[in-house]
Order: sequence, then structure tokens, then C-alpha cells
Amino acid sequence: MSEIINRPIVNTFGRFGANGVKVELPSDIKVSELIVEEGQSRIVTLEDVSYKLNATVKAGGTLELVQLHEDESLLINDVKVTCEKGATFKWYRAILGGSGEASSYDNCSVYLNGDDSSFEAYVGYRLGGKENYDGNVEAIHYGKNTESKITASGVLADDARKMLKSTIDFRTGCKGAVGEETEDVLLMNETVRNRSVPMILCGEEDVQGEHGATIGRLDENLVYYLESRGMEHEKVYEMMAEAKLNTVLRRIPDHELE
Amino acid sequence: MSEEKTHVEDIDRALYDFRYEDKDAFKVEGGLSEEIVEQISREKNDPSWMRDFRLRSLEIYRRTPMPDWGPSIEGLNMDNIVTYVRPNTERMNTKWEDVPENIKNTFEKLGIPEAERKSLAGVGAQYDSELVYHNVREEVARRGVIYTDIESALHGEYADMIKEKFMKLVPPEDHKFAALHGAVWSGGSFVYVPSGVSVEIPLQSYFRLNAPGAGQFEHTLIIVDEGAYLHFIEGCSAPKYNVANLHAGCVELYVGKNATLRYSTIENWSKNMYNLNTKRATVAEGGKVEWVSGSFGSHVSYLYPMSILAGRKARAEFTGVTFAGAGQNLDTGCKIFHIAPETTSYVNTRSISKDGGISTFRSGVMIGHKAEDSKAAVSCQSLMVDDVSRSDTIPAMEVNTDKADIGHEAKIGRIPSDAVYYLMSRGISEDEARALIVSGFADNVSKELPLEYAVEMNNLIRLEMKGAIG
Repeated sequence: MSEIINRPIVNTFGRFGANGVKVELPSDIKVSELIVEEGQSRIVTLEDVSYKLNATVKAGGTLELVQLHEDESLLINDVKVTCEKGATFKWYRAILGGSGEASSYDNCSVYLNGDDSSFEAYVGYRLGGKENYDGNVEAIHYGKNTESKITASGVLADDARKMLKSTIDFRTGCKGAVGEETEDVLLMNETVRNRSVPMILCGEEDVQGEHGATIGRLDENLVYYLESRGMEHEKVYEMMAEAKLNTVLRRIPDHELE
Repeated sequence: MSEEKTHVEDIDRALYDFRYEDKDAFKVEGGLSEEIVEQISREKNDPSWMRDFRLRSLEIYRRTPMPDWGPSIEGLNMDNIVTYVRPNTERMNTKWEDVPENIKNTFEKLGIPEAERKSLAGVGAQYDSELVYHNVREEVARRGVIYTDIESALHGEYADMIKEKFMKLVPPEDHKFAALHGAVWSGGSFVYVPSGVSVEIPLQSYFRLNAPGAGQFEHTLIIVDEGAYLHFIEGCSAPKYNVANLHAGCVELYVGKNATLRYSTIENWSKNMYNLNTKRATVAEGGKVEWVSGSFGSHVSYLYPMSILAGRKARAEFTGVTFAGAGQNLDTGCKIFHIAPETTSYVNTRSISKDGGISTFRSGVMIGHKAEDSKAAVSCQSLMVDDVSRSDTIPAMEVNTDKADIGHEAKIGRIPSDAVYYLMSRGISEDEARALIVSGFADNVSKELPLEYAVEMNNLIRLEMKGAIG
């Protein structure tokens, strides 16, 4: 079985590889349908490395999805969530590699169909060795007064490769919608490769969309300050890398970390 | 409380929409073939290497697919496009009196001779496929500045320089319309500013496409040598026809060591135009390229000026505004390649969408392995004027070294109603208030233009917003 999980969005000159990545889905991939009933709250943790989830969060319901993986050989993840009126979906996604050669392919498409529905994504990654991460997160706003917030933070070391496409898509009629994307990437080695394509697509006048990204090394004043306090250069970077990941990890519901 | 919408009349484009019959002009057949390319080559008295280059480009054009991204160009049928139209004049003139009456009237109405007298160091005026007028002030020419049509330069003392640089920055293999340009290019300017010379007042080339169903394929090649300075202004317009017109020009800029080139464009093609233009600059050590770009016209645009920061401490700035109105799909932005250490770039753009217009900002910033200690910052803001338009922001960043700092910010929103209300409470009408706010939104570009051009740009915004100036 073959399927594009990281679907083509909008090509950026062809050069940045924003076309869909075709990934052969394993025959034993788990496929789940999940419905969160009206007014219910559920926290779901998915541990399988290959997963395809279609979820619907009914009116007033909340779904929190936790996907945390460490040093896997291959990750394929395809999540589609539909939010009805007043529903909330929160996605906590962390890939904590560091020295392997794994490739991870992630797709998370969230349809904010109902008025006042919301989506929050927290994506964290630590990649090293020859690891490769290709992620796609999209919030598609149909309902009025819908909100989305996509926060990504990560660290790349060694020969790691990473591509993150994040999209806020305001469809005509989503009056009063608000979307925000932020990405913060710390680069640790001169051989890493980071690619970021944060998009805002807009077919509605009455919306607010914002994006901000910071990519590169640590602020030299910060490094100087910490070194002047007796901290070794490597330790400074280690500490700050941990801090970046924690911006995502600390969001994960407490009992899941236990 | 429902907000009352501003009523916007159809735009009065009389300022640009006049036309003259082209019955006396020489034209090739529509479409593209070896015969047509050879005919253009003969017409232009090409050296043999250029004739071969054209034919090779045609081959590349044929085997290169259409872009599979961006706005639809299905309405562009190359079989109908006339690739060469020579106006009814003997080649280039250096006095306006020698330019045929109808062509001179065209440029008079566009204010070009007046601008030349008042505020320009030199002017080139192209009508359809050929330059009809080219002149440079004597005091500028005395300092060794060359500003001429590119065909003359191909046969003069700079022939070797042209051969060395022509379509090296934008090779025909780059994309389908670069290949098309290589095959049928005609007209355009060659500028050479010698080492250490600072041209204090700008040079301007103006491109006017008059013939219906025609293409314009001018080539601009500018070389600013070590420590020199130049401000080059490019303007373009055309009357509207019911058939598709095509503009596939090419701009190649070579900015030398510690040199600065400012390249300003106010593009106001008619709304039946497919504007598939390619612009590229390479910047040597300590040099700087400054792009100032206003995109107002055309039916479809693909326009992404590229800066290659090839020398240590080279810099690029891109300041742009795009205004997409009814029937327009304008895909604009820029590309910056940092391939040398300590290079810096700054991109600051605004997009406005109105009356069903589609505006897309698309950018690519690439930091190469060797671009240590480089910095890049991109800021783009979009304004939706109504709920039937579209505005997309598609920025891409690629970073291949850890020793670089890249920042990006984007915002999208609408005209704040409290600002409109405030201005109205001060006695300004609603449509005037909205036009004023949009002009202010685009002030990143108008601040960078010489006064006369800033006024022209603000007039264009008012035309689009209110349907009339004044």
C-alpha cells in the first residue's frame, strides 16, 4: 500500500522540496478512528511508530493527543482531526533522537469546521547523527472565531536534516479567526540542514494571522554571560537545547510524563 | 453592528490605456519556430554566437515543462503570441524630435521626456520590441558611464563583455520562460558604471508594449564596477486588449566589490498581461544591491528578483509592495542566496488584495555552508481589503550552517475599522480614509523611491482604491 501522507501544499519554486513526500506505508500500520463525544475530554497517547488516526471531536469536546518517540528507526505518522463547534484539539509531538539514522514523516491536518473550535500544536525535536525529520502541520479554519496556535521548537546537531511545513489556512467565511505560528530552531553544527516553510493562506478578510521564526545559533550576549558565570561553552549549548525542548515537553499533560 | 462597505467604482486607467494602431510596424508571425527565431536574429544583425544561442534556447524551451506551481497560465497560448514587433521607425534615436509622432506622444503622456529633463541622468524608451530612444547626459557620459541599447553594445567595444555576461546569471536552463527569452529577446539596456564613479541621479528605462497579442522580451544588463554607485529605475505599462500579452524580460545585475546598485521598478502592465519576468543580481565583496519594487499591473505575475551574495560582507535589501485588484493573480516575492561569509539580507514587503484579486508573497532565503556569520531577516505583511480577495504568504528558509542568524515574521489582517472611524470623525470620507490607510501601509516602498515616483505610486494606489485620482 502506498500513500502520500505528507501531501503537496504549495511548491516554493520547486527548490525547497515542498512537494509531497511519498512514503510507503507499512502493511501493518495501525489505523484508528476516534470519536470524542460531545462535551467529553480525552487524553490519548499513541506509542506505535507507524500510525494513521482519523479523529472527530464533537461539540464542546476536547482531545489531547500525545506522541513522544525516542531513537526509532522509522516513524510514519498521519493524523487527521475534525473539530466541531467549540471543540478543542491539542497535539503534543516530540521526537527525541540524537545519534541515529532514523527518518520520521509526520502529518497533522486539523479541520476547524465548527465555530469557536481551536487547535494547539506543540512540536519538539532533537535530532543528531544522520537523522531526518519531515513534518507537516496544517490548521484549516472553516468555522467562525476559530483559533490555532502552532509552536515548534527544536535542536539540530551533527548531520541532521529537518523540514517543517506549517500552514494556517483561513478559508472564506471563517470570520474572526486567529492563527499564530512560531518556530525556534537551534543549530549546533555546521553540517546540519534546516528547512522551514511557514505559510499563511488567506481567503477571508476578517482574520488575524501571524508567524515568527528564529533560526540559528544562540545569542552571543547570552553565551558570553553564561560563560562569564563559569559555565563551559558546551554546557551552555546543552542547557539551552534542553530549554528549547522543554518549551514543548512541559506542555504535555502531567500524568503522561509520569 | 454591520460595517458599511466602501463602494469602489471601476478603475479609470485612461492615463495608461491609450493606444495607437500598429499598422506600419513590422511583425513576425505568431507562435515560435526556428524560422521565426532566425528571422529575429537576422533583423537584429546578431553575431553568430548570439544566433546559435537563440536556437539553443529554443531547444531548451521546447523540452522544458511549464511551471507546475503558482498562478494558472492556461490563458497564455504561445501559438498566438507575436514575439517581435518593430515599430515604424529607424532604430534608436537620441533626440525626441526624431521619434515618430505617435510614439513620442505615448511617452509624452507617460511623462518620460519631462522626467528626463527634470530628474534623470539618462533615459531609454522601448516601444514594443525595440528601443526607440536612448540618451544619457553628457556630463555622465564624460565620466565613462555607458548607457546604451544592448544591440549596439553587442557590436561595439563592449561586445566581449556582453558575450561573457549575457544570460550567465539567468541561463536559459533556469526555467521555461528564461529559455523563451533567450530565443526571442529584443531590446533592453546595457549599463556600465566604471570603478569609483558615483552616478548621483538615476537612469531610467521605460518599456511600453503597444501591439495587441505581442510579447516583450527586453534584456537589461548592468555592470557596476568596484566602488561605483548607480540608481536604475525601470517603468513599464501597456494599454489593455482582449487578447493575452506576454512580458518575459530578463534583468542581470553585476554589482562589483564595494559597489552599490539600487534597482527600482514601478510595474503597471495592463490587466491582460502575463508578466513572467526574471531578475537576478550577483554581489561581490562589500557590495550591495537594493531592490525597490512596486507591482500593480498585469493579469498574472511570476516575479521573484534574486540576489546572490557571492562575496564576503555582500548585502541585499528587498523592499516591495504588490497590489492585486479585480482579475489579477500576482505571485511576487524574492530569493536571496547567501553563499559567502558575513553576508546580510533584509526583506520587507507589503501585499494588498482587493476586489477578488489574489496576491501571493513567495520568498526563498538560503544560507549556504560557507555563509558563516551571515544574517537574514524577512518581514512580510498582508492586507485584505474585502472578503472576496485572497492573500497567501509562502516563505521558505533553508539554513546549512550553524553560524548564522535568521529571523522571519509575517502578519495578515484587514484595515482596522477604528482607524477608518477616527479619520472619518476628522471629516475625511470613508473611501478617502481607506485609501489613506492603504497608502500608509505601502509606505515602506514609497519612502524608498524618488519623490516623483513615490507620487506616481501613491496615485496608483488611490486609483485602485477609489477609481479616480483626486
